[in-house]
Amino acid sequence: MEKKLGVFICWCGSNIASSVDVDKAVAEAKKLDGVVHAENYMYMCSDPGQQKVKDTISEKGLDGVVVACCSPRMHENTFRKAAGSVGLNSYLLEIANIREQCSWVHQNNKPLATAKAVSIIEGTLDKVKENLPLETITIDLTKRVCVVGGGIAGIMSALDLANAGYEVAIIEKEPAIGGHMAQISQTFPFFQNVPQLLQKKIEEVNANPRIKLYLNSEVDVLEGYVGNFNVTIRTQPAFVDPAKCTACGKCLEVCPVSVADEFNRGLSRRGAIFRYNQTEAARIPVLMQSDCLYFSAAEVADATSCRACADICPEQAIDLDSIRTLNDEFVGAIVMATGYDLYSPLKMPEYGAGQLPDVIDALAFERLLDPSGPTGGQVVRPSDGRVPKHVVFIQCVGSRDPERHKAYCSRACCMYTAKQARLYRQQVKDGTAYISYMDIRSDSRGFEEFVQQGMEQENLVYIRGRVAKVIAEGDYLRVFTADTLSSRQMEIEADLVVLAMAMEPKAGTRELAKKMNVTIDGDAFLSETHIKLYPVESSTKGVYLAGCGQSPKDITDTVSQALATAGKIQLMFSNETLIADPLIAEVKSDVCSGCGICIEICPYGARLMNNFTRISDVNQAVCQGCGACIAACPNKACELINSTSRQFIRMIGDFAGKAEAV
Amino acid sequence: MGELVELTGLKDGQPVTCACALGNLTEFESVPVDRRVMVIGGGITGITAAIDLGNAGYQVMLVDRLPSVGGRMLQLSETFPTLDCAQCTLTPRTVESGQHPKVTLKTSCEVIGLEGEPGDFTVSLRQKVTYVDWNKCTGCGTCIQKCPSKGIALFERDAGRMTAIYTLSPQAVPNKPQIDPDRCRYLTKGKCGVCAKSCPVGAIDYKQQESFFAARVGAIIVATGFDIYDWKNKMPEYGGGKIPDVIDGLTMERYLSASGPTAGAMVRPSDGKEPKEIVFIQCVGSRNPEFHKAYCSRVCCMYTAKHARLYKHKVHDGQVYVFYIDIRSTGKGYEQFIQQSVSEEEIIYIRGRAARLYREGDKVMVQGADTLTGKKIEIAADMVVLAAAMVPNAGAQELADILGIECNADGFFIEDNYKLSPVETGRQGIYIAGCCQGIKDIADSSAQGSAAASKALVFLSTLRRQNQEAV
Repeated sequence: MEKKLGVFICWCGSNIASSVDVDKAVAEAKKLDGVVHAENYMYMCSDPGQQKVKDTISEKGLDGVVVACCSPRMHENTFRKAAGSVGLNSYLLEIANIREQCSWVHQNNKPLATAKAVSIIEGTLDKVKENLPLETITIDLTKRVCVVGGGIAGIMSALDLANAGYEVAIIEKEPAIGGHMAQISQTFPFFQNVPQLLQKKIEEVNANPRIKLYLNSEVDVLEGYVGNFNVTIRTQPAFVDPAKCTACGKCLEVCPVSVADEFNRGLSRRGAIFRYNQTEAARIPVLMQSDCLYFSAAEVADATSCRACADICPEQAIDLDSIRTLNDEFVGAIVMATGYDLYSPLKMPEYGAGQLPDVIDALAFERLLDPSGPTGGQVVRPSDGRVPKHVVFIQCVGSRDPERHKAYCSRACCMYTAKQARLYRQQVKDGTAYISYMDIRSDSRGFEEFVQQGMEQENLVYIRGRVAKVIAEGDYLRVFTADTLSSRQMEIEADLVVLAMAMEPKAGTRELAKKMNVTIDGDAFLSETHIKLYPVESSTKGVYLAGCGQSPKDITDTVSQALATAGKIQLMFSNETLIADPLIAEVKSDVCSGCGICIEICPYGARLMNNFTRISDVNQAVCQGCGACIAACPNKACELINSTSRQFIRMIGDFAGKAEAV
Repeated sequence: MGELVELTGLKDGQPVTCACALGNLTEFESVPVDRRVMVIGGGITGITAAIDLGNAGYQVMLVDRLPSVGGRMLQLSETFPTLDCAQCTLTPRTVESGQHPKVTLKTSCEVIGLEGEPGDFTVSLRQKVTYVDWNKCTGCGTCIQKCPSKGIALFERDAGRMTAIYTLSPQAVPNKPQIDPDRCRYLTKGKCGVCAKSCPVGAIDYKQQESFFAARVGAIIVATGFDIYDWKNKMPEYGGGKIPDVIDGLTMERYLSASGPTAGAMVRPSDGKEPKEIVFIQCVGSRNPEFHKAYCSRVCCMYTAKHARLYKHKVHDGQVYVFYIDIRSTGKGYEQFIQQSVSEEEIIYIRGRAARLYREGDKVMVQGADTLTGKKIEIAADMVVLAAAMVPNAGAQELADILGIECNADGFFIEDNYKLSPVETGRQGIYIAGCCQGIKDIADSSAQGSAAASKALVFLSTLRRQNQEAV
């Protein structure tokens, strides 16, 4: 049966009416096949305008409507809601965009613009004729959250969500939460004590009954979709039973292994069993399987297994035969707070990093500044323990170097370098701090003042230029650089060189992103949906991004982002179920050959092979209706519901026909 | 209107006591007070917070003292680093805020007082005089078309003209006009009345009085944004606003905007000619602790690079010079954006401050120095664009006094802890976001808007839980 169609043409004030003859358009529309009503109005989106649409639908029993107005991005929802309120299925109403795509671009040719508007209306009418009435898709919602990464981003997001009443699982790769922030001494621009700030938050996490911590853990497999994720978590064996361990420290003393301590950035050494850091949360020792002789011996036949720690433990808290565990968490949303690593200094041989002990990276310098660090907070040279009198801080090491390293700026280095130099000068009154920079980027509230104060109060010597190389000369380091402001070559004799290394996504981000079906950029940073409007939403619905895994930023900005993810998830959880648009792909089971091309091409992971029918199914909750599978299908077995090839061909025919006429 | 309550507060900076009508907000008051939030400021930050809260099922009152929402972002042409059209990005959000069943827009409206406590604040508001009954007005726009009085348009930053009865932009939300009483012929001279005669629904009301009302809310988000430093009066070395072809960055946005006064044609204000040599000066009033603002305005480096590129897209044979101190391109993709500007658009960056601008013939002479070569530089430019410092919007201190929160010496609202509580104030239940807390770009503002929404949600849901447990 032919549908009874109505056409409503909006003037949009003068936006449309000044270049489209709206009366003529109405007259033309009335002549079109199936149209039983056509009218125009100054602002169709206004309340009286919407009322006209509603009344006409009811009075004339319309079963298809075209509103010719602005972009559907503006008012499609408005009019669909209006239609729905008087009993017309919302999906039987379509927008014909005659503003952005017609009146605005043809302002000097009214007859042409009018003809084009009519053909847009005609095409849209032809689409409506074949539109099916649809119902929205309802998706179950599990109101629990998984936070990947227990740095400050993960902590802040988890705390907000838990405080809002939701259960949260934090998955942390390391033996303790706190992330890189735990390695930092003080903040800029207010010199706040970081361990104190962080400790308070860690205690809040530990005290919160809604937060579950998975330490030494990683995401093994992610299945499911928004509202219904199943995260399989792989946890490394906990060789030390926290219930039994009294943290007496005997095991630490007997371990024969000595390796560089990662937390202290190699400035101290540790055994295979060790305390991850000096915080209260990390008082229980952890055993690193890859360093332990018990495990390396197991690979060598008839080697003697070392069991020194297990044997000496008075509480029998150490079980070297523990095994790793797998746990499943069912959650509705995921926060990716995976953080950063510093770019490896080994990639900068010209600065002698890795070769020269007194060339260290910025996080190592933070460890020197930390009162609970390996030197008790004394800035001394790693090589000989002497107090350095001349320290050169080099910024942009690996950053802003598109040819050889990273093209991007690492954002936080200018400020932490200024802070480190100031703290050094406050400690070593007769020392000199040189800072090699390209541009000083102190761009948040109070930052500029902080750098200025450093120059004035701590006499920091800023030298604009990139350092060419650093070599060892006797007891000191010779730094070759240039001052681009005086155009002179410079050489500085330094006792210590600190490198502000570029920040890069945490090792493994690329693989994890693939598991989570989250897109990444060329530098492997996690990509947001829209940098302005959706800065914390990932490409996969229900997966959110916070912190330096998305791009380098300081603690303040990281926390803002983390809180934003918590906000987005709270609003998602404010409903009992999720509603999705039914305008998605569908498969003609009799045509699909099960070739699987659509599965490869789907950017959302919405296509899955049904192992029984050998047909590629569409996961209705995941499909975004992008149409990629439709274009890719060699058999034309997929169609987008209400945007079928047949509909489009008819629409194109309408446009092409009109174009000839003009 | 419902019952009257006595409220005290500040009005135009003076303490007042007013009788406010409580009520007439049926939809808004259909939920308990701990499910209502007020967002002050309808820019991108406030809109983001309001829509987030609305989507979370809360009733939100979005207050703006201008007649429509959208804030500064609506004035922008395209945004860095993607060169997306700002209006195309924002208008779907302004429309959403206007149509959201849980968001009540109160525009042309100011907060004048606050009483109560976190979880149950009573905010008093002044509905400014618009001379148009917005309940009757359908937004048809006839009055604007017929109005004979033309003058300088606020929204166009002096670059365009508008009528005495106006909306800020053609896509204004709400799309209801108001009358500028200083320019309206009827209100100044008692003659005209064209708008009243042409209005098909009789919405024009020349005798309209300001009204006061009160709203009870559980939490408040402040997102009052920024203004441009008054360089015209404070920087005589740059012509003090007397050289027509010296404009600020926000004005440049209007020239570049396809919906701006020149429909996007790149012309200069003095004679409408296409400028062939254009100079951009960064840090105008910023990073200048002795005379102006000590802080960096954070976004100027990027928007200047964007302006330079957009200009080059319009004037292919034009030459761009940018005076800078340090190039600050710290966001995602920003460094690469600057690199492209230098390598592909042949924009010349000169490291140094421009010392002085003056007019010579139809040129603007720019005197400055290149600190990399140590040489003095003089450029005869056709047009100069100043990246003027950004400052908190006027009235920030008064609002802080009303709300009982703190400002720093520059007038930015202060958060509880710079690192870990960036959107919380010293007062529970009141949160800050966006440029009123410190200058930041759209991405960071929008993230903070959501962060503030989250804090309000956590606060109110915790409060409800505690109340339930108490019962």
